[in-house]
Amino acid sequence: MFLAGRLAEQVRWLFRSSTLRLTLLLSCLFALGMAVAIVLALTFGREAVLNRVDTTLAGLAASVEAEDSSDDTFSVIIRPLYALHDLPAEFVRAARNGGGTVRLETEYRRSEDWRVLIARDEDGEAVLIAAPLDDSEDALDLLGGVLWTTAGLVLAVALAIGLAAGLWTQRRMNRIHGTLNRLAAGDLKARTGIGRSADDLDHLARQLDTTASRLERLVAQTRHLSASLAHDLRTPLARLRARLEMLPDGEERGAALEEAGRLSDIFDTIMRVARIEAGHGQDGFEPVDLGALLADLQDIFGPVIEDGGKHLTVSRASAETVTADRQMLMQAMANLIQNALVHGGPDITLFAHGRGIGVADNGDGVDPVRYDDIIKPMVRLDPARERDGTGLGLALVRAVADRHDAELILSENTPHGLRVTLKFTDL
Amino acid sequence: MRILLLEDDRQLGPWVTGGLRAEGHVVDHFTDGKEALLAAMGQDYDLLILDRMVPGLEGLSVLKSLRASKNTTPALFLTALGEVDSRVEGFEAGGDDYLTKPFAFVELSARVNALGRRREGAAAENSEPTVLRHGDLSLDLLSRRCARQGQPIDLMAKEFKLLEYFMRRPGRLVTRTMLLEQVWDMSFDPTTSVVETHISRLRAKIDKPFDDDLIRTRRGEGYVFGR
Repeated sequence: MFLAGRLAEQVRWLFRSSTLRLTLLLSCLFALGMAVAIVLALTFGREAVLNRVDTTLAGLAASVEAEDSSDDTFSVIIRPLYALHDLPAEFVRAARNGGGTVRLETEYRRSEDWRVLIARDEDGEAVLIAAPLDDSEDALDLLGGVLWTTAGLVLAVALAIGLAAGLWTQRRMNRIHGTLNRLAAGDLKARTGIGRSADDLDHLARQLDTTASRLERLVAQTRHLSASLAHDLRTPLARLRARLEMLPDGEERGAALEEAGRLSDIFDTIMRVARIEAGHGQDGFEPVDLGALLADLQDIFGPVIEDGGKHLTVSRASAETVTADRQMLMQAMANLIQNALVHGGPDITLFAHGRGIGVADNGDGVDPVRYDDIIKPMVRLDPARERDGTGLGLALVRAVADRHDAELILSENTPHGLRVTLKFTDL
Repeated sequence: MRILLLEDDRQLGPWVTGGLRAEGHVVDHFTDGKEALLAAMGQDYDLLILDRMVPGLEGLSVLKSLRASKNTTPALFLTALGEVDSRVEGFEAGGDDYLTKPFAFVELSARVNALGRRREGAAAENSEPTVLRHGDLSLDLLSRRCARQGQPIDLMAKEFKLLEYFMRRPGRLVTRTMLLEQVWDMSFDPTTSVVETHISRLRAKIDKPFDDDLIRTRRGEGYVFGR
């Protein structure tokens, strides 16, 4: 059972090869063409042979005067139509039909196949003349045999070559697939390493390797750049903080420290978004029960929402467990909650339905044509930038969604408001 | 404590050195990685504070070399590289703690003291009290009960954890970052006023009814518990 399953899997794998499919198609066409050609050749060949036999027999009949069975030679029967009584019944039937090919059940004069013709003898008398067909039949059979065998051999060789080529191509395709999968999973060191023969597949593989190298270099550069950027910006921020802390206590010092804190928070968020976007693979991913996560979120943010004068509803329906970075998911949800607090109405709903988790509010909502805009970094819908926020909130949520291959769905909440869902793809 | 500080920034180095000395520590300040490594190999320190990006030899390599030679001195990374994988790198190299720039001095000081206590051994752990007291406020860690002036106070789980964290650090400045990490286990800024809300709820229970504030806000810096 298991073996059969494996075999079926292997066959399916092999049949994905376009080379093999092409070979099979061409082989079928070749087999069909050959069959038609051979059948036609044998049919017309037989006609020609019979015509020649008939002509010869008619000529032979015209040169003798048939009396009775005494005129039969070793291989030719010739006699008047009234002297047929000693011949097999099939000959008589053929004579009544005006001649034709006769196939006997048993041998008559060492032959089973006879050609029977009604002709005129020297005196113009109607006679039956018959000759065995074995020799010409044998020749035709031999020809047919040779043709069928040759066609079969050619077909077998073509199929074998097609199968081998399919297997070979499929193996190489597999390596390319494997490399692409590893690259997608974040292993930027993955290469196909194919490239001995210079065919189209090798060309493709080499191009893939070149692209992967370039990608690896780029990512390394980005990492280096973001590290330098972090160092160059955080160091002066640290100095600023140090200087502010050295000031004497007072209202001004506190306010300045708060601003410095806000500045470094914004910078942290920018770095975090960049980092999440540049991230690869599933490092730090673990099974996260969305229902349990929702309970934690309620625990942490519930009081914040209530103290903000808003009403919190938690909706859970067959919440599933997904593979995710828990901290990242918490952060995305925190940002959505903050958005709902600032821009939403008096009711905020946290929900986990199936493989989706998100936040809905009953505020004014967002015009659906602007959905694409608000997930871009630094885009804010209130042009005066009066309300709190950095415009990074949804950009971070989008980055988190992308990192998890999850879908970020913005939709209208009924009767009004915005509903944001992070929908994890099915496993 | 005898502390080795590796920090090449001309302003931050002296600031940290000064602050730590003011708290009674002995500090050797280096600006070059190689010199710091030589010093750490030759002398016995109680704590190493290492910057990641410095001339000579970077802090990570310094610690790797030390750990390779069986040096187990606690180490704290002080760095501008704050992202999670940089942190992981730091811990993998044998670091015991990681503090991202910019930082409040109290935060550094709190971590330094925590690492110092850890070195003193687990002996203190056995004698740890099960009831924390501060003035007329008591917090029973076993029965999970809280009372002030003899009146029982009903606390939610997070409020309990928050108060416990404060009561273990009386008179010391506690920053928002410290609370987020220790009480909520969040390594990110939740943008929402999670800390503020929970503290204000805690105050409403332990301070307001008694007309005597135990938790005070230090604007732009954090909170201080106790008088």
